[in-house]
Amino acid sequence: MPTFKLDGKDVPFEPGDSIIKAAARQGIEIPHYCWHGGLSSPANCRMCLVELKPTANQRAMMLDVVEWDTALQDYRPVQKPKLQPACQYAAVENQEVLADTSKHVLQARAAVQELLLLNHPVDCPICDQAGECKLQDYWLEHQQTQKRMLDEPVHKPKAVVFGPTIVYDAERCVMCTRCIRFMDEVAKDPVLDMRERGNLNEVFVAPGRQLEGHYTFMTEHVCPVGALTTKDFRFKARVWFLKSAKTVCQGCATGCNAHLDFDPRTNRAHRYRPRDNEAVNKYWMCDEGMLTYHAAHDGRVIEARIGSKHVGLAAALKEASKRLGDVPKSAIAVVLSAQHSLEDNWAVRELGKLLGAGTLYAAGAGVGYADDILIDADKNSNTAGVKELAPESKTYAQLLDDMRAGRVSHVIALGGLTPRLDPEDATALGMLGTLVVLASHEGALTQAAHIVLPATSWAEHAGTYVNRQRLHQVSERALFAQGASKPAWELARLLAGAMGLEASWVKLKDVRANLIGESPISTRDFLEVAPSASSIVPPSLPPLSPTRPPRPSGGPPPPPPGA
Amino acid sequence: MARAFPKKPPAPLNATLLAYAERTASVQSYLPEILGGIGATMSHFFKNTRDMLKGSRPDPVTERYADGITTISYPEQKRPYPERFRGMHRLTTREDDSIRCVACLCCSTACPAQCIHIEAGEYPEGDKRRGYERYPVKFVIDELRCIFCGFCVEACPCDAIRMDTGIHAVPYDSRDQFIYTKDLLTSMAGRDGSHQTGNARHEPGDPSHPGLDREHH
Repeated sequence: MPTFKLDGKDVPFEPGDSIIKAAARQGIEIPHYCWHGGLSSPANCRMCLVELKPTANQRAMMLDVVEWDTALQDYRPVQKPKLQPACQYAAVENQEVLADTSKHVLQARAAVQELLLLNHPVDCPICDQAGECKLQDYWLEHQQTQKRMLDEPVHKPKAVVFGPTIVYDAERCVMCTRCIRFMDEVAKDPVLDMRERGNLNEVFVAPGRQLEGHYTFMTEHVCPVGALTTKDFRFKARVWFLKSAKTVCQGCATGCNAHLDFDPRTNRAHRYRPRDNEAVNKYWMCDEGMLTYHAAHDGRVIEARIGSKHVGLAAALKEASKRLGDVPKSAIAVVLSAQHSLEDNWAVRELGKLLGAGTLYAAGAGVGYADDILIDADKNSNTAGVKELAPESKTYAQLLDDMRAGRVSHVIALGGLTPRLDPEDATALGMLGTLVVLASHEGALTQAAHIVLPATSWAEHAGTYVNRQRLHQVSERALFAQGASKPAWELARLLAGAMGLEASWVKLKDVRANLIGESPISTRDFLEVAPSASSIVPPSLPPLSPTRPPRPSGGPPPPPPGA
Repeated sequence: MARAFPKKPPAPLNATLLAYAERTASVQSYLPEILGGIGATMSHFFKNTRDMLKGSRPDPVTERYADGITTISYPEQKRPYPERFRGMHRLTTREDDSIRCVACLCCSTACPAQCIHIEAGEYPEGDKRRGYERYPVKFVIDELRCIFCGFCVEACPCDAIRMDTGIHAVPYDSRDQFIYTKDLLTSMAGRDGSHQTGNARHEPGDPSHPGLDREHH
């Protein structure tokens, strides 16, 4: 691989890479606002300027400028090199590039930073970006001077509603045009543009339109400052209180990699942010996916139920074992769920095996909107995983048919969701002798269930999900278990124990060891590194962003079971 | 038997011995000294009273800060605190008596004692500040936990919290009385009796404020 020198350090690059991209791949950040790995390079923020040393037979490009001489008490003419934007200048073999080591680059960065903050309102206390704002970070790193302008800054529109999800503040905007380019290049809906010039420059929505569609949240995500904010997160939390867990979006079969930001003090999730993964979602997520973090708290099953009566977990397990204890084993059906992790499904399938149950079925959410950017029609996160565990499993429609025909009278089901909500289906479910549901979320199955056991949601336990590309992706735990809920693989073990059967797994690592034993060779390596790996990408693809050290396992101790 | 470690000679005594008073009957009875002490006190008492009645000496109650008075009648009288004394907190208000705090949580972040609890909320529909900034629905300071370091005041970017009330920590008889809520904190005035902050800034609705729409250009 060819290399160039950045501040004396060899940086490898692929032909066609810009300097900033090659440096970013090595984990070296050249400060920038407008450049984004997934978008084009307009080079309009001028923050990434670098000095290029002339090659052997090249004349240095120098500019005549004046410099203040304190001894002379006057300006004197000097020369400075013409700096180049690192986001547009293609890397050249053996090129010598100076960034942090060049006096001129440091001066240019401070000057650009000062210009961007000239008319900035500095309303950090009421800005939701405070704490993760590039203007704040770069002021500290590259400027650190007070404002010199004494005049009233130019005022521009504030809190402009761009659409159902996004609010815009023109005063905070640095005109990097990332949001405009995102809508143009990725979402293919060029609804944003900029107007006016100079310090009156602002982003606006095409007349007669709103910023809407399936990718509006990403305009906020690419915004390096607080100009664009989402109505969903606006005024909800201060980011320095939030911690992130590397999770996988549960919205559809794409399995976008995401950071789930949560407040460890209140055990509440506050937002999703896409996590870069070149193999799956690149840098993006859709609006529907970004909002699925609400499912960490909405519609959760957090208490065991017998019928509609809330009971303790032990009582529910006892009731389940009593009801299932003396029924013919062939009449028991086990329903896996494409909404739950591979570990949960494996444990429930094993429970079925221990019971000697007959047929395996698979349920989950139905189909919905799809596009060719990210969104998949299949609204389940683990359809491929269930298929891998139980290739012969029957569908939910077949389960209903078998119920009506009387072939199935007792069901142990994982997950509460069904592909559709239909009164006729509810009648069929009502005919069952026993329906035990291990579910994290309410659905048609939990409503019809005789016994509901509360399972933790994806945010409360680590789990593996197989996306539509058959990539095994591990989602980390963010929150502590809510209410009396426990991971479904543990509920399956407890249920087996209540029925006098001995489960072969006690801990998550036992489940994973068994999964590794069963998986196709190609995925085995990924599962083995799973507990620490953030996302499982085939080894041929290098991780795009520099890997961060794992989050320290701090935070409050887990609440006692049953608390 | 020979000693392994010969005994060191004692160090010379570097002091002079006190000559104690002889324990005579008059010393042992204490009476002459007690009477002498009472005599000194009473001579000052009669002298001061006479001087005060004659007007040649300041009255310690009415002329408490005059020269020659070293005692004050606390708690009826209090010493003046220094200009920058950090007393109990107060929350300042704007010109329209609304709370100045925007619930940015900088104070509770900076607080080393973690005694500030804020619940932020949005202004109600129709308020000119809705969509522009938020306000504290709850603002609670546990004054018992507070260490009066003043970090909250320094962290506040809006001059919304101050410790210039001049009131020092008050003794209460139960813990819940130390929990100062938003209303109590807002009702406290500065030492000059004011509730507002001097730091004016752009507010939504000001003629100079850009407003919430695009029509001003």
